[in-house]
Amino acid sequence: MSSSSSARRSRPGLIWVATLIVAFVVVGALYVSGAGVRIVESLYPPPAVTDQGADTRELYNVVFLIAAVIFLLVEGLLVWTIIAYRRKPTDTELPPQTHGNSVAEIIWTVIPTLIVAFLFVISWQTLNKVDTVTATAETKIRAVAGQFQWEFDYMPPTYDPLAKEPVAPLYVEYAPTGAEGGLHIPTGRTIQLYLTSPDVIHAFYVPQFLFKRDVVPGRINAFAFNVQADQAGQTFRGQCAELCGIGHKDMLFDVHAMEGAAFDAWLADKVAQASATPAPPPSGGPAPSGGPAPSGGAAGPGTELAETAQNIAFTTTELTAPANSPITIKFDNQDAGTPHNIKIFKDSIGGQVVFDGKIFPGVATETYDVGPLAAGTYPFECFVHQNMTGTLTVQ
Amino acid sequence: MTTDSTALIPVADTTPEGDHRYGGLDHDVSGGISAPVLGMLLFITSEVMFFSGLFAAYFNVRANVAIWPPIKPDTIPPEQYHVDMLPFVLPATIVLIISSFTCQWAIWSIRRGDHTRFVRAIAVTAVLGAVFLVTQCIDYWMLGQEQVTLSSGTFGTTYFTLTGFHMAHVFGGVVMLSVVLYRGMLGQFTAKHHDAAEAASLYWHFVDVVWIFLFSLLYLFPGKTV
Amino acid sequence: MATTTLTPAASSYRSGLYDWVTTTDHKKIGIMYVINSFIFFFVGGVLALAVRSELAFPGMQILTPLGYNESFTMHATFMIFLFVIPMLAGFGNYVVPLQIGAPDMAFPRINALSLWMLPLAGILLLSGFLTGGTAAAGWTSYAPLSEDHALAATGAGQDLWIVALILIGTSSILGAVNFLVTIFKMRAPGMTLFRMPIMVWTVLVTSVLVLMATPVITSALIMLFIDRNYGGAFFDPRVGGDPILYQNVFWFYSHPAVYVMILPAMGMISEILPVFSRKPLFGYKAFIFATAAIGALGFSVWAHHMFTTGAVYLPFFSLMTFLIAVPTGVKMFNWIFTMWRGQLMFKTPLLFAFGFLSMFLIGGINGAFSASVPVDFALHDTYWVVAHLHYVLFGGSVFGIMAGFYYWFPKMTGRMMNETLGKVQFVIMFIGFNMTFFPMHELGLAGMPRRIADYSSTAGWNDLNLVATIGGFLIALSMLPFLWNIFLSLRSGKPAGDDPWEGNTLEWATSSPPPAYNFDRLPDIRSERPLFDARHPSIAPVSDH
Repeated sequence: MSSSSSARRSRPGLIWVATLIVAFVVVGALYVSGAGVRIVESLYPPPAVTDQGADTRELYNVVFLIAAVIFLLVEGLLVWTIIAYRRKPTDTELPPQTHGNSVAEIIWTVIPTLIVAFLFVISWQTLNKVDTVTATAETKIRAVAGQFQWEFDYMPPTYDPLAKEPVAPLYVEYAPTGAEGGLHIPTGRTIQLYLTSPDVIHAFYVPQFLFKRDVVPGRINAFAFNVQADQAGQTFRGQCAELCGIGHKDMLFDVHAMEGAAFDAWLADKVAQASATPAPPPSGGPAPSGGPAPSGGAAGPGTELAETAQNIAFTTTELTAPANSPITIKFDNQDAGTPHNIKIFKDSIGGQVVFDGKIFPGVATETYDVGPLAAGTYPFECFVHQNMTGTLTVQ
Repeated sequence: MTTDSTALIPVADTTPEGDHRYGGLDHDVSGGISAPVLGMLLFITSEVMFFSGLFAAYFNVRANVAIWPPIKPDTIPPEQYHVDMLPFVLPATIVLIISSFTCQWAIWSIRRGDHTRFVRAIAVTAVLGAVFLVTQCIDYWMLGQEQVTLSSGTFGTTYFTLTGFHMAHVFGGVVMLSVVLYRGMLGQFTAKHHDAAEAASLYWHFVDVVWIFLFSLLYLFPGKTV
Repeated sequence: MATTTLTPAASSYRSGLYDWVTTTDHKKIGIMYVINSFIFFFVGGVLALAVRSELAFPGMQILTPLGYNESFTMHATFMIFLFVIPMLAGFGNYVVPLQIGAPDMAFPRINALSLWMLPLAGILLLSGFLTGGTAAAGWTSYAPLSEDHALAATGAGQDLWIVALILIGTSSILGAVNFLVTIFKMRAPGMTLFRMPIMVWTVLVTSVLVLMATPVITSALIMLFIDRNYGGAFFDPRVGGDPILYQNVFWFYSHPAVYVMILPAMGMISEILPVFSRKPLFGYKAFIFATAAIGALGFSVWAHHMFTTGAVYLPFFSLMTFLIAVPTGVKMFNWIFTMWRGQLMFKTPLLFAFGFLSMFLIGGINGAFSASVPVDFALHDTYWVVAHLHYVLFGGSVFGIMAGFYYWFPKMTGRMMNETLGKVQFVIMFIGFNMTFFPMHELGLAGMPRRIADYSSTAGWNDLNLVATIGGFLIALSMLPFLWNIFLSLRSGKPAGDDPWEGNTLEWATSSPPPAYNFDRLPDIRSERPLFDARHPSIAPVSDH
């Protein structure tokens, strides 16, 4: 053996020791400063608020640990190899021309196979706990994903999506976000969510559930979950996670967890309110709107405008009205089953709101009582389909 | 294919001419399948995969529903979609199967060096292929008269897509056979060198096999009458 | 040193435009593939910068929602179909006939046809920008969003996209037939299958994948075209079609496609590491079997893209996805132990190979998370997947492509590239790449979905998005030393000679660039390193791996 190779034999040794010391110092510093914890946290999903999410997070612990160990070992080996085996000026002879090593190759085939088999088995076990539908759900809710808004239908316990006779929902929530709107659910009970869409594929995703499920038109996906009891009073954010068009970024929803009895009271209240308000007539005729009584005591005779929504578009995009005169808009929604509204802004869409009309599905007509407005240009949109826009010019 | 030869080749440093023992050309010194024929077999593999995608769609559509063929809308009493193998499709099928035999006869002839029979057999094959195309077109027209088209729901879409792409492939095959016929009439093929004819015949057999599958699926096992 | 004694080597290509446009020479065609692919790399890169610029801050500053959707759709489309796949086909085109000692590909005219279909397809795709909008339903183009419905994909852009992809697919399939016939029929005497360079093996397996998988996406695209234009009922639930059918047929191709995008890059790395470590590839035969296993298993995992649809048999696809990690891991160890106890020469190709190894490892590991179905329920369709796909496609394929480019540029042009500029590019690109994509792990875990044009300023994602955008511009910056290097080297780079790297394989046994017929004579072929064996006659060739 030439002298260069004996010198080589001690060089890797020194580098080996140096690397270990550096690694020890770095890991120690990370631990002591809490930065290490922060790094690990950033590679973790949020804490789960459902039982199923908690099962998933426990599985994640194992997967993450194995991944981290493999990463540190292999990446470490790689970095070390690069550093330790640089060609030196003394390397004039070829290094040993090793073509392979059967023992090593068998080991690094068998052990990874065992590791992935283990990961598969524990994943499958967790899957059976997480991905379930139940025949005995205490609360059944249907989430309707349309372009570009979520709607939540609270169904009676008899609801079966495959039944021939359609079951009417007890209460329909059209506003997907906000303290009043969104998806209200009871803690400590098994909830079954049914997912349906009339148009394109969407996805129901709540990060804190560590769960999502696609909403596919033409089929009804269902899954059951339980929100943990200590989450009562909390709100979780949800968002559509499957590209569904130009409004995909806007399809947010809120999930409000309520203690069981509080949920029952809330739902009963909503059901009572819904039956007290007469349903909008199918066409024509002024109908009671959500605002104050029209015309009474206001200055001037009042102006009635007409607007129609058809094929996800306003038929009139330019409305005009005189200033300081009470404005009502008779809004005819011609799109069967599709919710629309008119939302009027002061200066620009997304800015200060002047009037937020009730969202309702077609085919139906609502009369919006906008009230008198000062002279100006007011852009409006349909909140559900924000490509539907227009301008109300008041002069 | 190049054999696993362990015969030592002399070190080439002093040989001025270089080594020309490359395989793959028509005159394949190492023996085995020729490059054009191998190329056609691989291409046919890709075509099989293309049809697999279409067949997968058909099976998926058919498996998803309880009633197949589906009921035609607005029919009183309710009537299912159907396609009839008489008067045109069954004869067309027989014609296509016969054309595979004539095609193979052509290949056997040219392998023996029999130019005359080769040309005749290829001509007959091409004509039979054209007859198949014409009868299919008539059948399409007749279905159109019954308002069964590409946009007739899942039935019409899958039926016309499958048979339509098959027809396109038959058309390609007829073109290929015509080129081979033309070259054969010019005397460009010999018993030893006729790769284009071999390749075209492989393609033609493939087209026929696909039709046998399609015919069986769409006409012999078309679903249940309810 | 070179072992050939050719009469004056072919001078650099001064032949005219007509010659280049009508050539059937695999070397010129390979170079044109590479140039075409880089052009579309820059187009795709500009689109990426548009996406990242919009996402740098909450609020819509630059693009409309439709424009944003078009941008990420076309970014991915150009990168996958007009950059990575054809770039690797181009390197294969240049290198494979040389490495097997053949004078050209089996079907030179079909080779030219395959090439010229690509710029045509690129023009079709780009024309969408001028005709009222490109496709905007994602490169995955799921139905019903890609159907001709209100608020979906009305307009010609989606149809142009379909036609362009069918063209590209045809180009790929013809190329695959060409590669397979060339490799099976035109190897030089003595080159048995188990003496072929690994690059040739990976191109072989890739070609099988292309041959069998690409026609399936052609069928999906045709069915979508029929739905959109002829009232078809394949995928439209309103007339009895099934959106899940589209996903199944689409992913049956698109999953093997990712192996099409990585295997030749792995082949290039497997050529570079032995040369720059001065040792043979560790476990040559195992590597080949691992490659074949990846190819075969790659056909069995497609529905892992559909775990959240509620329409697939989850355990099977989860198991197969986990299993495919095993041959991939075998390769990683083979590469590391090629370098182990070697004498590493830190030239630019090796630097990019190191980048490939270290980044592809991360991509492989974060992919394994998604193989676990419950974990995938949390991670699917979030930025975690964006991180994963870029770590394997950029960290893997692009770094591999860069390594191959620096390695074979001297052979293609007869000039050496500038080492300093190469190292500068590597450092900036490596840092920029990690800055862009590592934060996306956290973003995805925290709940940021994919393909959103904007995000709420209160979601807590602002800082990481800004960091990712800065990283993206760093990647763009790294292109400057790269382009400058190419310009300088072509003009006045050091003459390369036949064999500047002390290579192992036959392409280094002829001039740089090679003459039209590639070889005047060949050395003995008794192992996968014929040139090494010729250079070191005292070391017995090892071919009974």
